Amino acid sequence: MSASLKITNLVKKFGGLTATNDLSFTVEPGQSVGLIGPNGAGKTTVFSLVMGEHRQTSGSIMLDGEELSKMTTPARIRRGVSRTYQVPRPFAEMSVAENIRVGLMPDSVFGMILKGPNRDRELELAMAVGFSENDLDRTPAELSMGDLRKLEMARTMATDPKVMLLDEVFAGLTVAEIAMISGLVQKMRSDGMTFLIVSHDLKALEPLVDTAIAINYGSMVAQGSYGDVMSSEAVRASYLGEA
Amino acid sequence: MELRWYHFAAWAAFVVFMFLMPEMVSKGTLRIFIFANFLAVFAISWDVLSGRTGYVSFGHPFLIGIGAYTTAILTKRFDVPVELSIPIAVIVTMIAGLLVVLPALRIKGSYFALITLAYMELIYQLVQVIRPDLTGGTRGMSGLPTLTRGAVNGYYMSLTLMVIVAFCVWLLMRTRIGTALSAIGMNEEAVKGSGLSVTRLKLFAFLLSALIAGLGGAFYVHYLGSIAPRALFDINFVFTIIVAALIGGASTTIGPIIGAFFLTFLLEYLRPYLPGAERYFIYGGVALLLYMYQPKGIYEIINQGWSKVRARS
Ligand SMILES: Nc1ncnc2c1ncn2[C@@H]1O[C@H](COP(=O)(O)OP(=O)(O)OP(=O)(O)O)[C@@H](O)[C@H]1O
Ligand SMILES: [Mg+2]
Repeated sequence: MSASLKITNLVKKFGGLTATNDLSFTVEPGQSVGLIGPNGAGKTTVFSLVMGEHRQTSGSIMLDGEELSKMTTPARIRRGVSRTYQVPRPFAEMSVAENIRVGLMPDSVFGMILKGPNRDRELELAMAVGFSENDLDRTPAELSMGDLRKLEMARTMATDPKVMLLDEVFAGLTVAEIAMISGLVQKMRSDGMTFLIVSHDLKALEPLVDTAIAINYGSMVAQGSYGDVMSSEAVRASYLGEA
Repeated sequence: MELRWYHFAAWAAFVVFMFLMPEMVSKGTLRIFIFANFLAVFAISWDVLSGRTGYVSFGHPFLIGIGAYTTAILTKRFDVPVELSIPIAVIVTMIAGLLVVLPALRIKGSYFALITLAYMELIYQLVQVIRPDLTGGTRGMSGLPTLTRGAVNGYYMSLTLMVIVAFCVWLLMRTRIGTALSAIGMNEEAVKGSGLSVTRLKLFAFLLSALIAGLGGAFYVHYLGSIAPRALFDINFVFTIIVAALIGGASTTIGPIIGAFFLTFLLEYLRPYLPGAERYFIYGGVALLLYMYQPKGIYEIINQGWSKVRARS
């Protein structure tokens, strides 16, 4: 269930702006890597490139040795990458259960029609992120930011990924909710899930990652153990100085 | 999502009630019901694509027209029996629609609406200039074989068609495909991000919509026994279909039926006072008011009323 993610010489240009500048790194199977950098550094762009939501200008993205670059987003998800979104994107008029259901669906029209929803799995995923059974019928309009992030997490898990990309999963969460999601990530790590985690909440991030990568203006500024990265000159200048 | 006995009981009650209608109302009223039944079929067809996925089609008469013209030409010019010409018409509608709308599936929002509208105008022009010996040109065709005689039989035929289409679509939309199509309408990017091929889903919605439109169009000409291009490829006809689906309740199956009946009878009762196109202003106004009061349509109003009654008892 774990897989590696290897990014080589990745470049993404938005017109004149280089959002990803010759980035190379590898996340080994079962490893958890923190991706940090100031606002606009290009963290989310890396996620979009891995998922195929944006196409890179050049460079390669490999999942377990297989090149993803030519694949559509659903094909990449089938191979085993999945991400959460910094701004949660729930299906506004659907219940929590139905939101998770969409993530659980097979990518086949007949599969959708012929088999009913897997309610046990829906409940299981909802409970895993901290919902209770009563929450299944609630709609996004009734949910707090914390609940929306949990829902986002559950739908991402529903696609049965081997590599999960988490974009600011702690933003807007209460201390208790942060602890809950952290516990969940820790549990999945011990089950062998590979993680790439973006977070501005460094305190919450630290215990969840094996190593860290710092980027700024799309370029790598430091890489290594979390402590080394945080104490590096470049990071202190670009990141902590700003915060 | 689950099917329960009372769902089927409600369907059975509806069907029985509708089948007893000829005992209760005049032949004149029955003829209005016939139009309502056909409009319901067209509104369901529109809703499967546009109500669900949010890709608003302004060109549904294009699809309905292809179905109608195909069977009209086959029966009138080539003496093909109706039993054969109608299935062919449905298939032709799906294929023609596919060829034309395939590029449009990559286009979003108002451009999709505009393109579909353009197709409707285009076919209206084409019908008049290309082989008028086949299409009947501007004047259309008459003397087509009819499937039924008299209001009562016409009513039963249209009702049977409507009920079968509605029930099948209702069943289908209760499966996960219904959830997936509605999800596209809410957030297409998130559907992709959940691992589903959005283009394939939209294609499915489009083909289903075309199938129903072609079927409805084909039966409609064999009810009327004639076809007139200006009445078919008409912007008022598009609006009637869309408004029926919207005020009844888009993204549901029952809503478009309710909307179709409501609109048909509204237009009919306004006829003595406003014989001309002004009627459309009135219904536009009524639709707007209803829409402002409850954007989810009459179906939702009934639903909420029902919950209140249940909560009280
Ligand atoms: N679709 C786009 N078109 C043009 N420019 C973009 C696009 N997406 C991102 N950018 C730009 O690329 C740069 C990197 O953005 P990105 O969202 O990846 O940053 P980030 O590190 O995730 O920032 P934050 O911490 O604020 O989420 C920014 O300058 C941003 O304005
Ligand atoms: Mg970001």
